[in-house]
Amino acid sequence: MAIAEAPALAVRRAPVAVPARETLGRRITRHWADYLYVLPALLVMLVVIGYPLVYTVWLSFHATPPRTGEWVFNGTQNYQDILSGPRFWRITMNTIYWTVGSTLFAFILGFGAALALHNPFRGRGVVRALLLIPWVVSAVAAAYVWRWILHSDYGLVSGMLRSWGVIDRPLVLLDSKSYVMPTLIAVNVWKEFPFVMVMLTAGLQTVPEGLLRAARIDGASTWDQFWHVTVPHLKGVILITTLLLFVGNLNSFTLVWLMTGGGPANASQLWITEIYNIAFRSLQYGMASAFSVILFIIMLALGYFYVKALTMNAPRREG
Amino acid sequence: MFSHEPTRNPLIINRRRLMGFLAGAVATGIVTKSEALAYLQDSSAKTGVTAEEWNPETIKALAGTREVDTEADLHALVPETTEGTIQYWNVGPTEPDPQITKDLYQEFQDTFARYYPNITLENQNVGYNDMLDKIRTAAAGGAAPDVAKMPILWGVEFAARGDTSEVTLEEFGWTAEQFWPGALKSVTWDGKLYGVPTNNETMAFIWNKQIFADAGLDPESPPTTWADVVAYSNQIKQETGKNGYGMVAKVNAGNTPFRFMPVMWAYGGSALDEAVDEPTYETTMINSPEGIAALQTYYDMYVRDGSVPTSALTNTQTENQDLFIAGEIAMMISHPSEYVAMQGRAAGATGADKERADQIVANMAYGLIPEGPVRRAVVFGGSNAHIMSDAAHGAPVNRDAARALVAMLTGPEWSLKNNWTDSNPANLVGFETKWMKQRLEEIAFLEVTTAMLPYGIPFPVVPESPEVMNIIVPEMLQNALTETMTVEEAANDAADRINALIASR
Repeated sequence: MAIAEAPALAVRRAPVAVPARETLGRRITRHWADYLYVLPALLVMLVVIGYPLVYTVWLSFHATPPRTGEWVFNGTQNYQDILSGPRFWRITMNTIYWTVGSTLFAFILGFGAALALHNPFRGRGVVRALLLIPWVVSAVAAAYVWRWILHSDYGLVSGMLRSWGVIDRPLVLLDSKSYVMPTLIAVNVWKEFPFVMVMLTAGLQTVPEGLLRAARIDGASTWDQFWHVTVPHLKGVILITTLLLFVGNLNSFTLVWLMTGGGPANASQLWITEIYNIAFRSLQYGMASAFSVILFIIMLALGYFYVKALTMNAPRREG
Repeated sequence: MFSHEPTRNPLIINRRRLMGFLAGAVATGIVTKSEALAYLQDSSAKTGVTAEEWNPETIKALAGTREVDTEADLHALVPETTEGTIQYWNVGPTEPDPQITKDLYQEFQDTFARYYPNITLENQNVGYNDMLDKIRTAAAGGAAPDVAKMPILWGVEFAARGDTSEVTLEEFGWTAEQFWPGALKSVTWDGKLYGVPTNNETMAFIWNKQIFADAGLDPESPPTTWADVVAYSNQIKQETGKNGYGMVAKVNAGNTPFRFMPVMWAYGGSALDEAVDEPTYETTMINSPEGIAALQTYYDMYVRDGSVPTSALTNTQTENQDLFIAGEIAMMISHPSEYVAMQGRAAGATGADKERADQIVANMAYGLIPEGPVRRAVVFGGSNAHIMSDAAHGAPVNRDAARALVAMLTGPEWSLKNNWTDSNPANLVGFETKWMKQRLEEIAFLEVTTAMLPYGIPFPVVPESPEVMNIIVPEMLQNALTETMTVEEAANDAADRINALIASR
């Protein structure tokens, strides 16, 4: 009998028993050695992060008058006072303006720099190193230098423009309610765009050259190649970079504090600088804690999306 | 015109002659008694510093009349063999400070080590704008130093919270008569002493005679009233293009209330009621008609006339120094050390910059701070030494070693030397030493700031003072100067915030 004429053997599969869902406890028991290795790090995190976190939440339900130093439980009064005050909403608008503005422009500038430096050219290494300088300069040094450069009365920028006849009065930026935030955002963008450049430069290396070549052969324009090939490939990196930028800017303290202190007239006051003022100038630790908890909840939400983005395409590990 | 020097020149008016003239004027009905008193009103009731006892003539007469032996006095109090480690935090000299200030700062530490070879002094120089936050945080965390020397405004909040130890003057070998009453008041809380004054000072008015001349003003005649300051500032701006008055209005900077409160008090307002003879600190006068008038002077200079630096909202006195030595501002308020600082800057300049800086130093002049409709006023400033509590320190403080350090800090020699260029010894015996005589000879304009002492008003001695002076008052200024609020609204807003603080006690 030819093989082709042989009757097909019925392949009977033995019934597969569906294993019972493993409990967390059982999983931990099975991987006890793994948990033992991470236990020291977990303990450190518990002490350094967990304890202050719990303490801050607890403190946020207390009044802490500076006169006595005694802490008095006052329920949600701190939260009510913060959320009902006109100052909170004004500072919230400042914070949104600062965070979104800094993130958006740092991303655009950083992406542009990454694209410009993606293709090799003579001196590319030197240019890349120069563009990294703002990122490596300490924030404190940057704040003081920029404050001097932008000083209304003897700043470099104002002085140069006046000597060239471009303006005839001092250029008022940091002392202007209208211009202080755009000015601070510009300085922050200068400081941050190299981070975006580095992240996206690494991402651009992973874009398959073959796909770009195929697109070119098919007649795709430069923009089409960028939008339909490059960007989709960088989606994950873009998301992570912008999330990190957003969270970092929401927490950003040094530049604003050193350059303007939140002024003039609270025009550059952010959540984080206000928390500092409430805690260390007004000695209202309870209220500052409540403000910190509100900020923490927002950061937690952002962190959730960050983790989700990170694990989005990662294969689920089977135990 | 007005002079503080003793003189036979009938054309020179000094305070004694002025008092005589005013007495005659009142008798003949030329001026009313209240007008005369307002003109002469000083703040001696608050500080115990009377013009009769403390003026350039008496101070000169006192200097060099007593010998002190600091080493012997200290060892009689705390034995040389005392052992231990002492952490000492203080607001020490910074880069712009005169070299002699830095040298004496180091000499103090070296001398203490020599007097007490078995005590390790861990000295920490903390910046003025950082010290308060640092020590608050440290005290809350049980990590405060053993001894802290803090500006006069700060100590009371620590005393209220129990972060400082109760002390007596006797344990350092002193008596109450050796200190001005106002200085002792600044270290008293709830009837107990919690520190010892190290130095007390007031500031003076400084102007550039050359800019005055260029603007058509008499270079020898500074403004006598704050209304004059506004007018002179505007004239200087109009005639020369330079800024008139070196205004400081930064938030969270101690320089701001030290320069604005003299204006507020001169007009009859105050942050709480610290300017009245018997303050209760239970009410605010910041939005009284007088307080609003004081704020209006700042508004007029910054907004109406544009005669002060635009950067005033973010300037401290350090930035003012740059503007003054560059010849960009004509007037400012500061310590006698400003002259020494300007000399130092001029010495470091080169070329055309040096020539200009030297000219500015040569044209620098000091005078009394202008007066207002009610009084002439200045902040009664200084520093105090505190032994922190065991709880704030996080461990028992080495009391003997701490006593030795505080006794040396507050003794006649070092309460003077540690404040060589910009302050006065809080220990009044310091005025009698040979070093005081040397200072009077070496430091230009020292007698002018000393002459301001009778007009000194202390900041409110309440724990809420730092928030009032470092945040509420500067934010009131910024709200008015940026026209976020009208002058009256800004004053009312500040009053509401101060009242809320009082209510929360």
